[in-house]
Amino acid sequence: MNQSEINEEARQEILNSIRSHLATSVPYDQIYTKTDSGIHAAPFDDGDSEVAGCGESLVNTFSENLEVVDGHCLIVSDDESAADAVNEIISSLGETALGPHRTALSDAPIVQRISGKLRKVEYVSPADGVSDLFTCDVGITSAQTAIAETGTLVLDASRERHRLASLLPPVHIAIINESQICLTLAEALAGIQARGEISPTVTFITGPSRTADIELTLAIGVHGPQKLYVIVIKGM
Amino acid sequence: MNHLTSETFHENARAALADVQLRGALRNATSLFGERRLSAARSLKNWEELRSQARSIKDKVLLNLNVYIEEFVRQAETRGARIHWARDGREANEIVCRLAKERNARVVVKSKSMTTEEIHLNDSLQDEGIQVIETDLGEYIIQLAGEVPSHIIVPAIHKTKKQIAELFTSELGIEPTDDVAKLTSTARTILRDKFAVADVGVSGVNFGIAETGTICILENEGNIRLTTSLPAMHIAVMGIEKVLPRFGDLDVFLKLLPRSGTGQRLTTYQSLITGTKRRPSDEGPEELHIILLDNGRSRMLAHPVTRQSLACIRCGACLNACPVYQQIGGHAYGSVYPGPIGAVITPQLVVFEKTSQLPYASSLCGACREVCPVKIDIPQLLLHLRTEISQGGGRLDVSKLKRSRFESTAFTLWATIMSSPSLYNASTKLGRLVQRFIVNKGQIRQLSKISAWLFPALKAWTNGRDLRPLDPTSFRSHWRGELSRNVDESKRN
Repeated sequence: MNQSEINEEARQEILNSIRSHLATSVPYDQIYTKTDSGIHAAPFDDGDSEVAGCGESLVNTFSENLEVVDGHCLIVSDDESAADAVNEIISSLGETALGPHRTALSDAPIVQRISGKLRKVEYVSPADGVSDLFTCDVGITSAQTAIAETGTLVLDASRERHRLASLLPPVHIAIINESQICLTLAEALAGIQARGEISPTVTFITGPSRTADIELTLAIGVHGPQKLYVIVIKGM
Repeated sequence: MNHLTSETFHENARAALADVQLRGALRNATSLFGERRLSAARSLKNWEELRSQARSIKDKVLLNLNVYIEEFVRQAETRGARIHWARDGREANEIVCRLAKERNARVVVKSKSMTTEEIHLNDSLQDEGIQVIETDLGEYIIQLAGEVPSHIIVPAIHKTKKQIAELFTSELGIEPTDDVAKLTSTARTILRDKFAVADVGVSGVNFGIAETGTICILENEGNIRLTTSLPAMHIAVMGIEKVLPRFGDLDVFLKLLPRSGTGQRLTTYQSLITGTKRRPSDEGPEELHIILLDNGRSRMLAHPVTRQSLACIRCGACLNACPVYQQIGGHAYGSVYPGPIGAVITPQLVVFEKTSQLPYASSLCGACREVCPVKIDIPQLLLHLRTEISQGGGRLDVSKLKRSRFESTAFTLWATIMSSPSLYNASTKLGRLVQRFIVNKGQIRQLSKISAWLFPALKAWTNGRDLRPLDPTSFRSHWRGELSRNVDESKRN
């Protein structure tokens, strides 16, 4: 038998096994089966009762929840001040031995717009190849959505080349507009589907990379970024 | 390596109980995670509704599993994923090895996955001469030490940082340090090099979405993102029970799983992967292979009690809540899945006769049921499996089990006595007569000595127990005397 025949045989056997074992359980399930209606009901009122800043603006809620998970949120008024904020973050990193900070940029419009205003950086585009990205100090991306109740960024690979720029460098800076923030996880999930054909990769990011695998001691920045900054441009 | 040591559960447990360091580590971990889980659950107003909703969704999936799994396959294939079916672990391992060899893979990076632990994938890859690297920090430590995980969420919970530092010094040649940040960054640096050259990335799957063919994987470290982004081939090994009907169902499960596992509102990263990249210039692997693993799962569908086992989302909450696990840790269970859920899953997945001690590794206190985010009635499952073991029949092949004649005779006798008032009366009278000779300072002590010659089969139970003697007068005689009069009077008043 060739591989595809074996695969087909395994498929048939597993599906038959599922069907036959379910069939023997039917008598037991007469009382057990519930009607299905309503179990996938639209998200009900499920806001976190302890979420900080509820009732205030989404951006404040987002900011407070991002800080809870050790991320940093900076709220600015326009592109210009967003670029200033990025410059400040980069200069706070100190001088690297190699001179300018190697910075990976995603292809999001907002990232491209401010990239011309950055000082002391050397740009690395994701198109330059993976090995260049391994040596970057900073990654700058946008995000397609942010979730206020959890402080989460949602990045969609079909709209932004984000995967490695947001993952490999030790510092990740994300620049978003205030209007991209929604309140709940359910809204964000609905938003991903509402765009029609689902993106091949959607990444949710809530704070910097972390682990507690050694004696439950929290260590920030294990495989992913050690620092996460989100710059929110207000009122656009 | 001997993977399954459940047969020697009692010996394992005794050894674990004697390990003071292990018990300290377990106490810290289980109480910390227990507290975090509780406060995370309380931060949601509708925690109980969410649990019920999650269970209803799981029940719906499991009762129609063939329909949802076929829909999942259709959707994933449409978007470029290749689907492989594996009846058992051996078949799944063969598929992974074949795919890796097709790419001439020399290095495979792996993210933490209980399913690949279950089938012992690493051994198979190594037998083929392929280097396989665990990239989750805890799993990496375990792999360096040549051990197996002892907790679903924190695999190296049984090791101190001193032991880990010594391990890193001897295996990786670093300067001795007890700084956790330094140990972590050492692992990061070494594993980065592995990620850079790996040909294949192997991951597990937390949820597969039938509606869209999406696989969703949760983590905190970022190694899953690296595993699924850098190598040209991504292989995901997924138990057939991991399907959810709709994309929107993730809302419910992403609220429950992190809160139950680590007490987080969300883990740091969720990767939602739907097929392969659409343009060659996009980031990410060229190939996505999803292996659907049965390995005994479809058999569990046959009965509503055992079927519950398939609702498990591997959060580890029941481990942390279990008074038995808290004392003995994961290794004593002798299988990949430890704790209460392990005690019910392992006997159903693996050779039953080698794991028949596990369903007894519980006091049936019900703490696991209380914390389970999908409301699995684990005590009910434990009792169900015990029944199957004692009857030696049922769905599973237990013909090779040693059945206790004594146990069934004793319980038949007990049932006969308890259902007959006169026999019951006679037996308590006899008991009162006999106990005069063995009561010592108000207790029946050294039961084990008595049972050693009277009922050797009871020894395991009597070893650690003293019994209170029967009251000199029975309730019945109390009732015939003053008690009934008092009740009558209080009624009149």
